[in-house]
Amino acid sequence: MKALKLSTRLLNLFTALACFAVAGIATAYFFINEKFEWIPQTVLELAREPDLLKRPDAKRCSDCHQAIYDSWKASRHAISWTSKTFIEASENRTKEKCLACHIPESVTGEKPSPRLDRRDEGIYCVSCHFRDNKMNGPYDLVAPAHPTFRNPEFVRSEFCGSCHQKTFKEWKNTGIDDTCQDCHMPRIKSRLTQKFPFSLLHKKKWVGNHKFLHGDLTEKNILMEAEFRNNYFTLRLLNKTVPHAVPTADNGDPRLYLYITFFNAAGEQVDQAKEILAPQQETALAFNKAVNFRYRLFDPVDHANVILKYQPAWSKEKQTIWEKLIRP
Amino acid sequence: MKFFRILSCFIIFTFAVVLPTHAKDMVVKEPPKSLSQFYPPESKEPKWIQQMHKLSTHFGGVFINLKEKDFANVDKHADQLLEEYKKTSKMVPEWKDYFDIKAAEAFTQAAKTHDIAKAGKASGGLGKTCGKCHAEQEVSVWAQFHWPRFHKIKVTDPITEKEMGFDDYMSTISSSFKGVTVNFGEGQYGRSAKALKIFKSRFMEMKSTCSKCHTTDDVKLFYVGKIAESAFDNLAKELNAEKPNPGQFWKNVGLLGKTGCKHCHLTHRTASFIQETWEKE
Ligand code: HEC
Ligand code: HEC
Ligand code: HEC
Ligand code: HEC
Ligand code: HEC
Ligand code: HEC
Ligand code: HEC
Repeated sequence: MKALKLSTRLLNLFTALACFAVAGIATAYFFINEKFEWIPQTVLELAREPDLLKRPDAKRCSDCHQAIYDSWKASRHAISWTSKTFIEASENRTKEKCLACHIPESVTGEKPSPRLDRRDEGIYCVSCHFRDNKMNGPYDLVAPAHPTFRNPEFVRSEFCGSCHQKTFKEWKNTGIDDTCQDCHMPRIKSRLTQKFPFSLLHKKKWVGNHKFLHGDLTEKNILMEAEFRNNYFTLRLLNKTVPHAVPTADNGDPRLYLYITFFNAAGEQVDQAKEILAPQQETALAFNKAVNFRYRLFDPVDHANVILKYQPAWSKEKQTIWEKLIRP
Repeated sequence: MKFFRILSCFIIFTFAVVLPTHAKDMVVKEPPKSLSQFYPPESKEPKWIQQMHKLSTHFGGVFINLKEKDFANVDKHADQLLEEYKKTSKMVPEWKDYFDIKAAEAFTQAAKTHDIAKAGKASGGLGKTCGKCHAEQEVSVWAQFHWPRFHKIKVTDPITEKEMGFDDYMSTISSSFKGVTVNFGEGQYGRSAKALKIFKSRFMEMKSTCSKCHTTDDVKLFYVGKIAESAFDNLAKELNAEKPNPGQFWKNVGLLGKTGCKHCHLTHRTASFIQETWEKE
């Protein structure tokens, strides 16, 4: 009897504790997500991790922001300083003009200045987010570990335009509303942090993909029309969907190669032509503006084979986008 | 900052005018090895230039404050100038003889009398040491640390899609140019027209090299801009004409050769010549 009574008491105690715990967690959840402005500054001070405000490396942020870190690590931004092709083009990083955007101190909407520390991190979390001793970002929220600040610039193209200056101008000229982030940082509903169990205290939010996706080019993006008429073969390319030039670049040299080969009825090659569509040569395909090419045919032609290939700025490898056979 | 830049220009100008080196032979020697520790990639910042700006700021600071009769600051700048000058003299051991610490001390003392005439007179001795080194070393330093190496730039030939060094590309483009002119001279207009297409695509490929050193597109208005483009159009028009007009043809060839090749050589090759000589040794 006594034993039973004791165990009931214990049970009651546990239930009470569990109720308190649930209530506590619920209260914490409520305050963190709904009324964080009510959390006293002194309480927050206790939770702060001061080294986060001393420009730590990206790995340190991954203690909590693991998922974002993993995507960033796979991005071109993470290797903007260590990229072989950059090292070569900047003559072992001696060209002063080349440093600013590849190792920015702080991104503010204007061309950044180069930083002196942690250069191997390239364009990293601190470069983009750390300003005025706070982590700037798109949200109004509370992060116990560090102060945050909702900065509307983060969802605007101007932010990316600090460095992607030419691409930004091209985008601006199109008048399209979609921002750089809309396409290159597609958002999913998820958590900003992955530090169990604390991350569960924060509501799910939209998280932008920090791989800064390049986007695949297909025949839906670059339309082609071609025809044989009289002694001419004419071909028209149209960048229908990408609201900046294709390819686009600031100092990199990405290219599209257009190869046209003409064959006679016996299947023998009778002529060929090539076009290089590259921002550095001012021949990239502007948005929604058709570009025409015209070739005079000297011999009878049965059909033409047209191939479009893409070569990124950091590689010598070309990828085929599409290949088409054209008959008169 | 702008003020200091203007000031330094002024000071350099003064040295250049007041303190010319009289020798007619100019030797452009490779800068001493130990200087490279003050330039990228060995140093993160151009430390030597920063040191120069300090010297020039304090030197100028003495006179500006003398004029303003702000004597506390005159003394401060005079002391700092001496200190920085001494520091500079130890930075590059191979250059220690350019410095005259006594002249610097004499200037500091003269400045501290707050007599502008005395300071002006004493500045001559010190200024001479700045001017001598600039006259003998500045061009070398520019060629070594400010002009990127063209021959380290790789160009992909648009015709063969082979990657080659800039020098080899220049030889290639040069023979393509000749392919156009030689054939025309021989009356082979068809071949000349074919060569022109190849030459044009090789010429336009040069536009891809500008961004290896320049960060604005404006530079492409030169050498590879509208003038070259319209010369190419005019050449093509002549070659496709029933009877090409040699006068028009050669006029446009000349235009291309001048604005498209020579002008770039005059501005960009000088440093290359110097760098090449050093690298051959
Ligand atoms: C205004 C900012 C800015 C400056 C200054 C800048 N870059 Fe970049 N760079 C970029 C951006 C943005 C990209 C990515 C888009 C592209 O490919 O151009 C890039 C990409 C590159 C790439 C291709 C990617 C890679 O890793 O190979 C190279 C090479 C490069 N830059 C070299 C240079 C050189 C050389 C200079 C100096 C002449 C320079 N950059 C100066 C912004 C800049
Ligand atoms: C100890 C854990 C922790 C570490 C380490 C950490 N953060 Fe956070 N951070 C958080 C939490 C928690 C949030 C808020 C999450 C939420 O509300 O969903 C947050 C939010 C943010 C935000 C959003 C700000 C906004 O207003 O939109 C940014 C940006 C951010 N962190 C950047 C960083 C950077 C950069 C680092 C590394 C220097 C870093 N964080 C390190 C826990 C951390
Ligand atoms: C501090 C300057 C800077 C800012 C700000 C910046 N970028 Fe970049 N970005 C670069 C550089 C430099 C590279 C090239 C890195 C490399 O490949 O070496 C690059 C590369 C890229 C690439 C890959 C390009 C390619 O050819 O594959 C994409 C996509 C990209 N950035 C998107 C963005 C977006 C979207 C934003 C805004 C949210 C942004 N960037 C903000 C400098 C910047
Ligand atoms: C090139 C600049 C850039 C770099 C580098 C960068 N971010 Fe971001 N970050 C952004 C932008 C822009 C947004 C807003 C995205 C959007 O529109 O949703 C953002 C959003 C965030 C957010 C809020 C959630 C979201 O996606 O909106 C967090 C947290 C964050 N970043 C953390 C990090 C961490 C941690 C790193 C390093 C591993 C990092 N960021 C690197 C530009 C950057
Ligand atoms: C031992 C040689 C030497 C001496 C002595 C010297 N300089 Fe220089 N100075 C240089 C060189 C080399 C440069 C070019 C640096 C460069 O462009 O990288 C230079 C450049 C400068 C510049 C231009 C910096 C720029 O941004 O282009 C100023 C200003 C200057 N010196 C001031 C002085 C003054 C003032 C003195 C004397 C008090 C002085 N220098 C003495 C070697 C010297
Ligand atoms: C190997 C590096 C390099 C390459 C490649 C190069 N330049 Fe330059 N150029 C320079 C340097 C260095 C200067 C001196 C001023 C400076 O630093 O910008 C200069 C100066 C100029 C100037 C004088 C105006 C100015 O910006 O100071 C023009 C115009 C110019 N270059 C055009 C071109 C064009 C057009 C191309 C491509 C066809 C080109 N350059 C390729 C290094 C280069
Ligand atoms: C971007 C500026 C630029 C333009 C435009 C240019 N050149 Fe050059 N050229 C140079 C430089 C710089 C060198 C020295 C190369 C080096 O040192 O690596 C050179 C070298 C040469 C050489 C000597 C090659 C060798 O093996 O040393 C020839 C021949 C030449 N150029 C022909 C031409 C012709 C023909 C044109 C016009 C169709 C032309 N260049 C246009 C910059 C230019």
